[in-house]
Amino acid sequence: MIRVYRALVLALAGLGLFVPAVAAQASGDGRRAEAELISERTSVLPGETVFIALKMTMDQGWHIYWRNAGDAGLPPQLILKETAGIGEEALGEMMWPLPKLLPVVDGEIMDYGYDDEAVFALPLTVPADAAGEVRIEAVADYLICESVCIPETADVSLVLAVGEPEENVPAGDLIGAWIAKVPRSFEGEARIDDATAPWTLSLSLAGGFPEGAGVRFFPFEHEISHPADQPQRVGPNGASLLLTPDRAGQVGEALEGIIRVDAPGAEPVGYVIRAERGEVFAGTADAAFVPVAGAGEVAGLSWQGLLSLAGFAFLGGLILNLMPCVLPVLSMKALGMVSAAASGHAGELRSHGLWYTGGVLVSFAALALVILAVRQATGFATLGFQLQHAPTVAVLALIMFAVGLWLMGFFELGSSITNTGSSLAGRGGAMGAFFTGVLAAVVGAPCVGPFLGAALGAVMSQPAPAVVAVFLAMGFGMALPFLVLSFVPGLHRLLPKPGKWMDTLKQFFAFPMFLTAAWLLSVLADLAGAGAVGWTLAGATAIGFAVWIGRGAGPARRAAAIAALIAAFALPAVQANDPAASAGGEPSVPSYAEAAWSPAQVDALLAEGRPVFVDFTASWCASCQVNKLTTLDTKRVKAAFDAADVAFLVADFTQKDPVIADELKRRGRAGVPMYLWYPAGSREPQILPELLTQELVIGLVEGR
Amino acid sequence: MQITRRHLSLAAGMAAAVALTAGALIASTAQAAPATGTPAPAFSGLTSAGETISLADFAGKTVVMEWTNDGCPFVKKHYTTPPSNMQTLQKGAAANDVVWISVISSAEGEQGYADAARANELTASRGAAPAHLVLDAEGTIGKLYGAKTTPHMFIITPDGNLAYDGAIDSKASAKVADIGAATNYVTAALADLEAGKPVATPVTKPYGCAVKYK
Repeated sequence: MIRVYRALVLALAGLGLFVPAVAAQASGDGRRAEAELISERTSVLPGETVFIALKMTMDQGWHIYWRNAGDAGLPPQLILKETAGIGEEALGEMMWPLPKLLPVVDGEIMDYGYDDEAVFALPLTVPADAAGEVRIEAVADYLICESVCIPETADVSLVLAVGEPEENVPAGDLIGAWIAKVPRSFEGEARIDDATAPWTLSLSLAGGFPEGAGVRFFPFEHEISHPADQPQRVGPNGASLLLTPDRAGQVGEALEGIIRVDAPGAEPVGYVIRAERGEVFAGTADAAFVPVAGAGEVAGLSWQGLLSLAGFAFLGGLILNLMPCVLPVLSMKALGMVSAAASGHAGELRSHGLWYTGGVLVSFAALALVILAVRQATGFATLGFQLQHAPTVAVLALIMFAVGLWLMGFFELGSSITNTGSSLAGRGGAMGAFFTGVLAAVVGAPCVGPFLGAALGAVMSQPAPAVVAVFLAMGFGMALPFLVLSFVPGLHRLLPKPGKWMDTLKQFFAFPMFLTAAWLLSVLADLAGAGAVGWTLAGATAIGFAVWIGRGAGPARRAAAIAALIAAFALPAVQANDPAASAGGEPSVPSYAEAAWSPAQVDALLAEGRPVFVDFTASWCASCQVNKLTTLDTKRVKAAFDAADVAFLVADFTQKDPVIADELKRRGRAGVPMYLWYPAGSREPQILPELLTQELVIGLVEGR
Repeated sequence: MQITRRHLSLAAGMAAAVALTAGALIASTAQAAPATGTPAPAFSGLTSAGETISLADFAGKTVVMEWTNDGCPFVKKHYTTPPSNMQTLQKGAAANDVVWISVISSAEGEQGYADAARANELTASRGAAPAHLVLDAEGTIGKLYGAKTTPHMFIITPDGNLAYDGAIDSKASAKVADIGAATNYVTAALADLEAGKPVATPVTKPYGCAVKYK
């Protein structure tokens, strides 16, 4: 193939055609990299030590490897020829600059190495008896890979004059710059706790690591799984990493390698560490850490990756329109359009659609910012967290209830919000449309978490702009149907004629809202106990009172209504926030659960040789409840579990739990549900789909 | 309480039903890597001869699994004639009633991908003699075993436990000249099993090209 290529190039060149693009595909004589020996000096003194270097320039997309290549690949070598003018003792060890992660297959195969350019410096001790010139002849022997790998060799040589020292400034600068990238020795201390898997590598450093710095460990050997995530925790005295041992991975005397520290706005720095066994240093593992920009330069999503995530989020947003908590609000919007179309205001629909879209987008951007703030503050970034905060759940339940009352027609919010009928035109209508968008996003909030878990999981550890972009894509998806409806001329004419059915439909839609409120109350019961539920029901009563008393005219009545409304929301929120009231309620656990999940529990059960099924669940997670009803809590599945002596463990994420959050993140999930299946004798689990079926689970258990 | 919760769950279920459809689309795939000394994962696969084989079919026999990719220089090293390193191992296995299964996990369009016709052609042109050549373009078996490189070798005992996981030999290189000086781990492990001993070196670091999973 290469030969054909070269023949083609030569033929074209022979025809007098200018083909730089084709010729540029392969360096020099068909190799994928150019290898060159360079020296900081053009002339040297006998007996002195100077730096020379192997300079590798790789073709676009091709890479070579670090001293530990990772799962596949081989490090480059410089082999002196027998004809070389110097003996092997004259050349010191090759110096390895800081490598980067080269993920080959996500979660399966990880390599360590270099692309574009890499310069490997070596100290050269000039023989004491050198005279005239020093000649170095060697072979650069390296494996270079793109998606395929090619072993290449290149003859390299260097001639240095012996005499008055003379610098080679450009080469010296280049070698110096690359020596600066060689990991230096770590100023702090490192320890490895390998008592249980995953191991904890604890790095103590006076003053801690720079703010926001991501840390990644690159081993010299293969004790750890190279592709596994290394969840990071931080504290005032340093950082710690959770390392997944390789299948046969054991720490010998010590675990040795380098750490790569990627601080925001700074060049990455490497440190050589030697971690002896010992306990985790205090103050190195206080809080989970989500890197702003990923360590090892891979956490940043490619454009394609970001686009496909945004695409999923967009689809998710579209589907969100059908959710029972969102549908009623949107239907009001649609009914407004029906009226507008009927009353001849079709032209106004456009600005309306835009305002509505704006409302949705602003709300989703706000949600993204809240999530980023939570991530910043706690290090957690799991979706559905809004349903772990009892006051938020109480307020959401009350909003659902109030929206239900409004749908029933117990009160009117005025034309500015419902924007029915002729008030569609004008500024009030525009603001109304905007707030309908906001309202749609707010009532959609409880559905967002459980719904888009896996899709948003990948984006959670990304830089802020990516998170915001994905949320905006979801918002745009949600707003699109109405935007289309308001922009495509004539489409609104397909809407049915307005009439009494609109009222009936509107009233009917109150029931999904009440059901959603009831579901939220059951979530609240698990989070904050029966007392909080009682207060929330009292709040609902207060809303009813406000509606009733607010119907009449007069400032006194109005004041009473407003006071009742404030009390309606404030009291339950305050009560739900009372930690003394929490920790009540039954956990969201199938009846035959054996024990609460913990990594140690899993290890213990596996050591007994039993298969283990782990259910990561939460009472606020709708998908979890569905799986429980349809699969996990059924007789067939229970019988299969019993027959195979499966240990069923439950990790209940109803309330925040950093250990569970770490495990979710380690497995690439943003939230629950997650189901892990450890067949008997295995150590690494299979991650099951979010949608379980009895056939799937029974098939796994019976080993089919 | 029980009934109420059920109904609530159903309400939530309505919300989730649509979500799950989308969720299933993006549910991630399973990943499990076995450890030596534990049962080897059960698998079944389609061979180049058009048969479906599964690990259970070979209960009572020692099984060798070899991940291969004919385009990979490390694989070429071991198939170069002479010394025909891999072919010799395969023929030796057949003579000792050891079942040799070569597996191709290269995805369609990737280096080393083979359909049945190409796979059979490869076996003929390389002078190879595996008992079976399994076509695993989806990478299912490869990921089940945690195969990282080509070559990557696994040995399974007659009672179904994983006995060896790692490289073919001790010289990580793509040079044919290194074969002679290397310790062949597969030969050593098979000899240990034959002698009824535990495998002395049960795990090594495989070397080669990354498996070209899709």
